[in-house]
Amino acid sequence: MSDYALNRVLYEHARAHKMPESIGPDEVAGYDLTPEERAALASADLDALFHLGANPYLIRRVFRRRFAL
Amino acid sequence: MASIVAAGLTSHAPNITATPDAAPAQRARFLAALAEMRRRLLEARPDLVVMFVNDHVQNFFYDNLPAYCVGVGDRHWAPRGAAGFLKIPQRQVPGAAGWGKALLAEGLEAGFDLAVSHDLEFWDDVSVPAHFLMPEGTLPILPVLTNCVAPPLPTPRRSWALGAFVRRFIDARPGSERVALIATGGISHWIGVPNTGHINPDWDRWVLDTITEGRGEELAALTWEDIERDGGNGGQEIRNWISVLAAVPGVKGEVLAYEPVKEWLTGCGAVWLHV
Repeated sequence: MSDYALNRVLYEHARAHKMPESIGPDEVAGYDLTPEERAALASADLDALFHLGANPYLIRRVFRRRFAL
Repeated sequence: MASIVAAGLTSHAPNITATPDAAPAQRARFLAALAEMRRRLLEARPDLVVMFVNDHVQNFFYDNLPAYCVGVGDRHWAPRGAAGFLKIPQRQVPGAAGWGKALLAEGLEAGFDLAVSHDLEFWDDVSVPAHFLMPEGTLPILPVLTNCVAPPLPTPRRSWALGAFVRRFIDARPGSERVALIATGGISHWIGVPNTGHINPDWDRWVLDTITEGRGEELAALTWEDIERDGGNGGQEIRNWISVLAAVPGVKGEVLAYEPVKEWLTGCGAVWLHV
């Protein structure tokens, strides 16, 4: 399974300079995501996103509020 | 012929400006080093600054991701939309379009097939160092970007070859252009990965020692795995430094500052190369 769609979701948020707490199902409608990817975005599970192939720089940028620093 | 009149290496990090109250003592020392780098840069009276930098997935996404790219726009955003977050003013800096197009064409002739962009938007990669080094926004900037953030990455050996090619290009330029080289990025940092915030000062000091002793080519022998283990995913940005070191091989560096700044999540170095 390609991680392209997952990264696409994060990239679209990054380009719009959005820094949400999480990315829910309404915001990923139409993206070809697996249930695991949808769950990781909805819960902003950073480790899960990393292991699913999300680019770390996009994780950091979009979910910046989830990091201590 | 054109000549290289100045060369410097510096880390970049968004929190240098985004969290201005963090780590005040370390911040003061690092910014003093950038002020000294600025003084030396201006003293060298360059006509343009070639900046070896990397995208952070803001210009290039997985639908079109160059290993190397030259920015030939008449101007570049540094920053645009990231200005609010970086807490520095949105601005456009002048480019060096003719110089970049000549580099592009010569690269194609020489077997270095650079990608090309006429419209680049920078984050902390250019915006933060330029905010301190070139706040006037009058010096033309020619960006050369290396993919350091979306593996598989070009090898450090290839980044060395790129820097050596840029040096040959400068040597062959007609006229008496005065060229400055600045690389940004590194040194060690772990970003967006499970151990985000880790810094490895031992590796950073090893990197700095190779440069101060004029042994920068040793960095070109590093593998992706070496860097990922010792310098973290952010350490992969050392490719930018390697290209500048290749343009001035054997030149000894002077460390103006080294600060492993926890709040910036980065082992921050600032190095002047005595060209």
